[in-house]
Amino acid sequence: MKQHRLIGDVGILAGGFALLWFAPSFASDYALQISFRVMIYLTLAESWNLLTGSVGLVSLGTASFVGLGSYVAFGLANHFGTPLPVILMICALAGALLATVVSPALFRLRGVYFTVGTLALAALLQLLMVNLPTFGGASGIFLKHDPPPLPSLYHYALSVALVTALAMAICARTRISVIIRAVRDDEDAAAQMGVRPYRVKLGAFALASALIAMAGAVQAINLGAIEPYGTFGLQWTIDTLSMVIIGGIGWRLGPLAGVLFVVALGEMLANYPEAHIAITGVILIVLIRFAPSGIVGLLTRLFTRPRRLSSP
Amino acid sequence: MNAATVPLLEVTGLVKRYGGVVAIDHVDLQLWPGTITGVIGPNGAGKSTLIGMIGGAVTPSAGVIRLAGRDISRRPASERARAGIGRTYQIPRPFLDMTVAENLEVAQYSIAPFIGAGLAKTERLNLLQLTGLLDVAEVPARALPLLKRKRLEVARALALKPRVLLLDEVGAGLIDSEVTELIALIQAVADPHVAIIIVEHVLRVVRACCARSMVLNFGKKLIEGPTAEILAHDEVASVYLGTGGARQSVQAAPKDEAAAPQQGLNLLSWLIAPKPPEAASRPLLELQGICAGYGQARVLKDINLQVQQGEAIAILGANGAGKTTLARTITGAIAPTAGVLRIAGDDAAGRAAHEISGLGIAHCMEGRRIFPTLSVRENLLVAARQVDHATAQQRLAAVYELFPILAERAAQGGTSLSGGQQQMLAIGRALMARPRLVIFDEVSLGLAPIIMDRLYEALATLKAAGMTLIIIEQDVDRALALADRVYVLEHGTFGLVGDPRDIADDPRLRHIYIGTAD
Repeated sequence: MKQHRLIGDVGILAGGFALLWFAPSFASDYALQISFRVMIYLTLAESWNLLTGSVGLVSLGTASFVGLGSYVAFGLANHFGTPLPVILMICALAGALLATVVSPALFRLRGVYFTVGTLALAALLQLLMVNLPTFGGASGIFLKHDPPPLPSLYHYALSVALVTALAMAICARTRISVIIRAVRDDEDAAAQMGVRPYRVKLGAFALASALIAMAGAVQAINLGAIEPYGTFGLQWTIDTLSMVIIGGIGWRLGPLAGVLFVVALGEMLANYPEAHIAITGVILIVLIRFAPSGIVGLLTRLFTRPRRLSSP
Repeated sequence: MNAATVPLLEVTGLVKRYGGVVAIDHVDLQLWPGTITGVIGPNGAGKSTLIGMIGGAVTPSAGVIRLAGRDISRRPASERARAGIGRTYQIPRPFLDMTVAENLEVAQYSIAPFIGAGLAKTERLNLLQLTGLLDVAEVPARALPLLKRKRLEVARALALKPRVLLLDEVGAGLIDSEVTELIALIQAVADPHVAIIIVEHVLRVVRACCARSMVLNFGKKLIEGPTAEILAHDEVASVYLGTGGARQSVQAAPKDEAAAPQQGLNLLSWLIAPKPPEAASRPLLELQGICAGYGQARVLKDINLQVQQGEAIAILGANGAGKTTLARTITGAIAPTAGVLRIAGDDAAGRAAHEISGLGIAHCMEGRRIFPTLSVRENLLVAARQVDHATAQQRLAAVYELFPILAERAAQGGTSLSGGQQQMLAIGRALMARPRLVIFDEVSLGLAPIIMDRLYEALATLKAAGMTLIIIEQDVDRALALADRVYVLEHGTFGLVGDPRDIADDPRLRHIYIGTAD
């Protein structure tokens, strides 16, 4: 039964991917740029939703891994001329590696302390980059070669988003799903069932970090220049979590709904950047007050009988 | 295999200290395959701590635990579960948002991630069938009542295919016919390759299932041996069994954690609301044709009940008959769908719980509901926050007089107490509002017989001081001994009403409680 649902998901994803792959041949540069942003944010939001919504690890460390991906990508591109697909794979490994290295310290902290720990990690990495001249210091690094053209970058972003969506489908549609939910609901009881909570949390953290690092790399290449305040900036963390909360934390379609909503809102208010931030804030407050399960949760409650899909 | 020479589970010199308190003090234990061992003892004796240490949830301060000769004392709980130790929690901890079947999948897939889906399903259905949960397989665990959650605990532990099975009070709250089913379940689970430990206050289970038993008292092993000998032992009777609910006066208790309430308590009037002048004319509580339920499910049908000032009413009935629903209807947690509910003459049907509580009805809830982050003292004061400081202090002193142990533990966290002490705290908290009527819902659930004696002495003291009581109880003998009138619930209606002496001999009570199986 579960396998059938997984096959269904993969079918939908493959179909969507194939359609979107051909977008550059008819879409304008503007539309492509927006789609690129959607794919990047979707990867971040899905990863954060896995960590926070499914495993229950509330992370404020998204920026750490966006920044890590950016710097690793620029280092490889500038010094070794590494091709982009290889860069992305190495960035994924670097993200997973950093997650694994910091996990013994972070997982020792439970609940809110874990959250503060992840926030500290991003601040620490940012300070490190600012103060190390090897990495360009506060002024950052420029990409030496021209970045690939937009349609090509769009294809990379789309591929990263597909990998993310496939990973989420596996986490939600296979027997891994019950294990993940068990750890979220009651870590101690799960351990008594033979589940190893540390490994489950580490697995999810490493996976999410690898995906975020890849998204960070593609995003940085698109920009052509990076500096520590932007790449390790809190903005990435805040954007990601507000998108997921607006869309519906813990819901499978929550990240997609949140990203589309926020990006569309941003475009409509593109000429009024202050209003954009203020309106997003108001929407966030209203949603948390009246629909804590976000857009998807609200729609589900309105149109169907209540049923919570508690996996991503 | 050297199964014949090495015990399956061997515990040597096990110690657990919490700060200065020694919860388990050099306990030794050997389990052989194919045996069932009972562990009994007063609440707070360290039984659950022992289970926790064997299962890995609690880290021992000293001592060694060996599984088939291998030292597992420092292994995490997950590794012990994988090595074949399955345990249940005394207070069930199902994964609430998962269905019952998914709860079992957690255990199945964690020990065998690549088990075939068909095989896993067959095994799962067998377990659900065995534990009587087949009809609720697709129901979220959150919707299960306590007893089904306990069965789910057993089913989850069995899904690990354990070599050592630790059952922590799975019989609490069961009526006799359900105990019979539980005994059959344990006997069905018993296997020549499996060792089972049963921690239990329901002595019938221990008698029927355990060839050998040990008694824990103050963290020490008091005695170990064949179950029949243990239960006949004088010392066991004095620390644990008490009167066993027999209707006779209780001897002066030894000075232990459950020190009995003293005679001649003079502060009790601080806890008992004064009688209104018109008390004689109107019943304090009156239910006429009350119907109530949850959504589509109608649990109570046409309930009529009158409680006069100063009366003690016992409400008996099988699990699922609607006893707790009745308590929840009276206290306003659920609104009746039909009928009249009057409290001292005032119409109270459909009023919110806090309003009914304001009318002087207190509810000592099933499962105690102690606030874990508050101290004992704070737990008590929460219920008296509408009165001035001096009055609250007087009431506090009166509760401490009734249960002196609570004064000793005043600064401790509410849930750091033993089960019996927590129940005393729950009773004390209900009294802090100085109620006119208190509903005691299953106060003896999961308590050692001797602690039940203490609690019932306290209830008798309250009754003697003029308190109006409604007692909802599984323990028929104790309830009958205290009550002025008895109502027996059967399928949501009162099947039997009358004087305790008549009810005690009524074959219908026996039929409802014992069932036809026994």
